[in-house]
Amino acid sequence: MGLFDYSTAEQVTGRSAGLGLFKRFNDKLLRIMSAVTILIIWQLTASLQLLELPSPITTLGVFIDLIISGDPLYNRTLPEIVWASLQIVIRACAVSIIVAVSLGILMGAVQPLRKYLEAILELLRPIPPLAWIPLAYVIFANTGSPTEYVQVFVVFVGAFFPILLNTIHGISMINRIYLEAARTMGASPRQILRQVMLPAALPSIFNGIRVGFGVGWMSIVAAEFVGGKLGIGYYIWSSYSVGGRTAEIISGMVAIGIVGSLINKVILLTEKRLVPWR
Amino acid sequence: MKKALTSILVLLFAIAVFAGCSDSGNNGGDQEGKNGTQEPAEEKLVYLTQTAPPSMLEQLEAGEIDGFIAWEPFNSTAVTDGYGKYLFTSQDVWDDHPCCVLAINENFTDETTIEALVWAHIKAVRFINDPANSEKVLQYASDFTGKNEDVVKKSLENITYVEYPAKDEFEEYYNSLVEGKLLKNSVESIGYTDSNKFFESFLKTSVYDKVSGELDKDAGWKPANVPAETKVRLGYLAADLHQLAMFVADKEGYYSQVGLVNGENLETKVFPNGVAVMEAFKAKDVDMAYLGGAPATLKRINDDIPVEIVAGANNEGSGLVVKNEINALADMAGKTIAVPGVGTVQYTLLDKALREEGLRPVIK
Repeated sequence: MGLFDYSTAEQVTGRSAGLGLFKRFNDKLLRIMSAVTILIIWQLTASLQLLELPSPITTLGVFIDLIISGDPLYNRTLPEIVWASLQIVIRACAVSIIVAVSLGILMGAVQPLRKYLEAILELLRPIPPLAWIPLAYVIFANTGSPTEYVQVFVVFVGAFFPILLNTIHGISMINRIYLEAARTMGASPRQILRQVMLPAALPSIFNGIRVGFGVGWMSIVAAEFVGGKLGIGYYIWSSYSVGGRTAEIISGMVAIGIVGSLINKVILLTEKRLVPWR
Repeated sequence: MKKALTSILVLLFAIAVFAGCSDSGNNGGDQEGKNGTQEPAEEKLVYLTQTAPPSMLEQLEAGEIDGFIAWEPFNSTAVTDGYGKYLFTSQDVWDDHPCCVLAINENFTDETTIEALVWAHIKAVRFINDPANSEKVLQYASDFTGKNEDVVKKSLENITYVEYPAKDEFEEYYNSLVEGKLLKNSVESIGYTDSNKFFESFLKTSVYDKVSGELDKDAGWKPANVPAETKVRLGYLAADLHQLAMFVADKEGYYSQVGLVNGENLETKVFPNGVAVMEAFKAKDVDMAYLGGAPATLKRINDDIPVEIVAGANNEGSGLVVKNEINALADMAGKTIAVPGVGTVQYTLLDKALREEGLRPVIK
């Protein structure tokens, strides 16, 4: 269950396909080796001064220092900074899940509605979350705290489409026989929705939520570009503006990576528990 | 294990749903509580957020922040549009504080070109400061920034166009960087015995002294023409009124008088901010550029990017704009102010003003 579990659940439970080469290396060893490779390349780059990078050990020191005693410049520890960002992402993704899943089920189940909305959604989908910032300021101008809303909105946009598309996909891929069978046995539309469609589409919906959360977490850096409270995206950017803080920048990036893969893991585990029939 | 994780997730969603969006604006108070043990309870705090100036206007209008500190013409735009008023301008707090400068890449050693550009710059500054040209300057300022004349007129009142910044004011800025722990490198680690030696080299006055000396003797003096085959790349910040001299030098023909033809051997490059200019200096993508003295100093030391300051562009030109109902700096206790970034000259200016009032700025 690693970083790249963004595909299907078959890989989580079963074994992956492959050519069958290098079978005697076990998975754990390969994992450790990949980490070691990165560290060696990094160390070499730093000690040969190919790039002006701090060494892995220096960076680790800074990283631990940031977690325990924090950055004196901002008077915040790294977990506090990450938590500020995570709150926004959780809020935005919660809204995104509610809106995108309900809309996705409707669009998957009601063909005319799907045709009606498809054109406009296809037009909106390629617009990157960052491009929404100026317009979002206009939309949320009267809310009292536009920056907060703009940030939530940008993450919302990032998370929305993966969830929506996966939900539509999940609903429309349901074998028609199940629906016909339920109908023949006298199920009401409400029963069909709750007892046939939703359970069948749930694995796909969860896929969407996982990808959506991932994209949302990535969008936070863009969202914090507008400023506001000190979050991880702005922390990296501000450290860059001050200069000489490459180790802090890498620490911030590592924190984003760790939190992102943790989010992924938590959702996967929840899915396993809520969708045992998968 | 699974149960625990599920309940954590449910809890997170509960927080997300119940916390909503709007009430989080008041969280600053709770967050500060955590650090409360280190500070005496009676200390008055002012909260800072970091924001790009265009967003500051939106945030002030919406009431999300109580004030912002930025450079012109953002301040005068907010005031002219009625969103706020000046609580102080640069000169009220820190007379002659350095701001924008003209810097060169240390590796760019073509003396003729440097002299020609410094000459054009000084001519332009003297043009701007000559009261006889005030109408024309207003027009240029409006063209350069795209703002109307009311706005730029107010802005120009707060900007002092200079030919060279004061060394001791630069040192004061440097000291604030040291105190604020903003320097990762020290002047010693980039090869200077002390800060004096550093400033002697960083503030390269030799060209300015020569050119201004000649001009003072004879206002019609002109340095040698730059040959057509010598190419120079000049950087500046988009629509930054502090750098008006560059626009005036171009429009008044000072560049062409010394053989620099815009688009031929003079290439102008526009940048979004001083940090980007310093990156361009590092990449040898630009030879000379107008930029803030703050990013120049910070990145000169922290990232050891070899630049020297050959002329000043302006002093002052920043200010604190607050909501109309705030009347004194003392009223800012517990309020939120947006700054363009840590380590900017505006940040230093605000920090100075707040501390004199017994207020302590903390980042939100």
